Amino acid sequence: MTQPQDLPKEAGHRLEELEHGLFTSDLSVNEFLLIKEAGFHPLGFVMGSSIYHTGIQARRWSKSQELTKLTEAMYNARELAMTRMEEEADQLGADGVVGVRLDVNYYEWGRDAAEFIAVGTAVKAEDGTSHRNKLGKPFTSDLSGQDFWTIMQTGYVPQGLVMGTCVFHIAHRGIGQTLGTVGQNVELPNFTQALYEARELAMTRMQDEANTLGATGIVGVRLEEKSHQWGSHTIEFLSLGTAVTKSAGDVTLPKPITVISLDN
Amino acid sequence: MVASGPTEPDDDGPPAQGGGGADGDLPEAAGRRLGGSSFSSGLTVPDFAACLQMGLEPVGLVQGFCVMQWGWYGSGSPYMRGMTPYAFGGNAPRGAYSETYSCPHGGYVYSNEHRIWGQNYQQPWVESAWAQGFGSAYARMVEEAAEVGAHGIIGVVDTTRHLADMNVTEFHILGTAVVVQGGAAPPGGTPWTTYLAGQRLAKLVEAGYMPVSVVAALSSVRVWAYCVTEMLMEGTLSRFGGGYLPVSEVEQLSRAHIAARSLAREHVRSQLGNDTLQGASIVANTQSLAQGDEVIECALRGTRVRRFKDFDPLPAPRPTVRLT
Repeated sequence: MTQPQDLPKEAGHRLEELEHGLFTSDLSVNEFLLIKEAGFHPLGFVMGSSIYHTGIQARRWSKSQELTKLTEAMYNARELAMTRMEEEADQLGADGVVGVRLDVNYYEWGRDAAEFIAVGTAVKAEDGTSHRNKLGKPFTSDLSGQDFWTIMQTGYVPQGLVMGTCVFHIAHRGIGQTLGTVGQNVELPNFTQALYEARELAMTRMQDEANTLGATGIVGVRLEEKSHQWGSHTIEFLSLGTAVTKSAGDVTLPKPITVISLDN
Repeated sequence: MVASGPTEPDDDGPPAQGGGGADGDLPEAAGRRLGGSSFSSGLTVPDFAACLQMGLEPVGLVQGFCVMQWGWYGSGSPYMRGMTPYAFGGNAPRGAYSETYSCPHGGYVYSNEHRIWGQNYQQPWVESAWAQGFGSAYARMVEEAAEVGAHGIIGVVDTTRHLADMNVTEFHILGTAVVVQGGAAPPGGTPWTTYLAGQRLAKLVEAGYMPVSVVAALSSVRVWAYCVTEMLMEGTLSRFGGGYLPVSEVEQLSRAHIAARSLAREHVRSQLGNDTLQGASIVANTQSLAQGDEVIECALRGTRVRRFKDFDPLPAPRPTVRLT
């Protein structure tokens, strides 16, 4: 088992206690039951955090462009938080982490700085089979307990929470451009292409991460957009999803049965 | 297993009226992403499982965008409030809805204090701009799906967002492109599309219907209130009758709402051909531009479906009780 590189001392004490059999988790009772049903046991609530100074980057008023320094900062900060969470899971001997949530918080005392947090519940297979990913690390996923059980029934197993980000500056329109389309209902191809390109870049990067994990696909992809503290023309496009691989041959899924609820 | 597409390649084009074409204008990054070896899917895990159970294989998350500028609309624009485009004897475009209301109090001088006439009128220029934005974004999504050889797109989600600082509106449509395992390519190579996914789609197919395409339309009706409508809306003492106004219907507004919904249905019906609409959702929004000047916009969307087999009765459902 690899030793955590940069976890705080307090994390070490907490994790030691968890190693003695006590577990913590943020799973609901139903999620807990389904994780058990899928053949896994929760080991502990794990987290990783990184306070990152995102700085500034010069942008041109009239040019749509990716702000690569900011993209890099947003990516590295989340990666650090995720890695620290994985280190905690690794120390517990976990096979994976389910229900991962990635948040960004801003504090008054830290101008241009943001705290990136990753939290989730570390789990381990009860039969001792290793479910670690291709890189030998615990898998991560934002799947709920119910989703985790369902995906395992389909013959797919999670490999990792993958993400791609792109911070993009959308150009302002010049006086000439504005006057040229005054009073018209028209498409603005520059805006369309800029927003399109930014989202596609984020999704491509997410897909590249999935390929690194040898994934067959990504499920539950979602696209988030935030301007953080940069003003409305600078937007972070974040794409997130759980990379999965097919674990077995063909799986015949049971045909759903019709039910009628007797509840209200 | 579901059928691989609609049976006749008749008129299954872009869904919204006036939709712009978008051939060949996808960004380079889209091509790189879609050419990757792994699939991506915006489906939830239960929908993903149901999709596999039906014999549908996800091949990629596909999307389309269009950013539109909303122009102003002649003398009825926000820049010239207080005037409708038809204020000086003009008529609404041929076939468009419009109604005129006249003051019953014998007034003969028009002023903002006492509006002696009012109008409800359809705004076809807004409707066609919306259709162009939606249609272009839709066409781009379908183009992405065709590029990966998809047979259909399921779980379509469309959003319209106003970027206030930029004074533009963005149309964003996305869905999960799928291939029917063992199925043939759809006629004409154009993938079918549906808002449905998972068990809702499975139930539709079970009932003997195949999705053809998503359909959506917006209707827009502007209300320029006349004196009676204004007084009823204010709910105050009548300035002209000297007493309380009786409880009564605000006829001008009622008729505008009815017209907006009816126009949205007409727009969608014109896209259905001989097919039917499933899962229709109608959303009406009222925006007040100034006192007595309102816009009612009504968006109707759903999935155009076509029968491909007779309905097989479902087995009797099993009664269940939740323990939560």
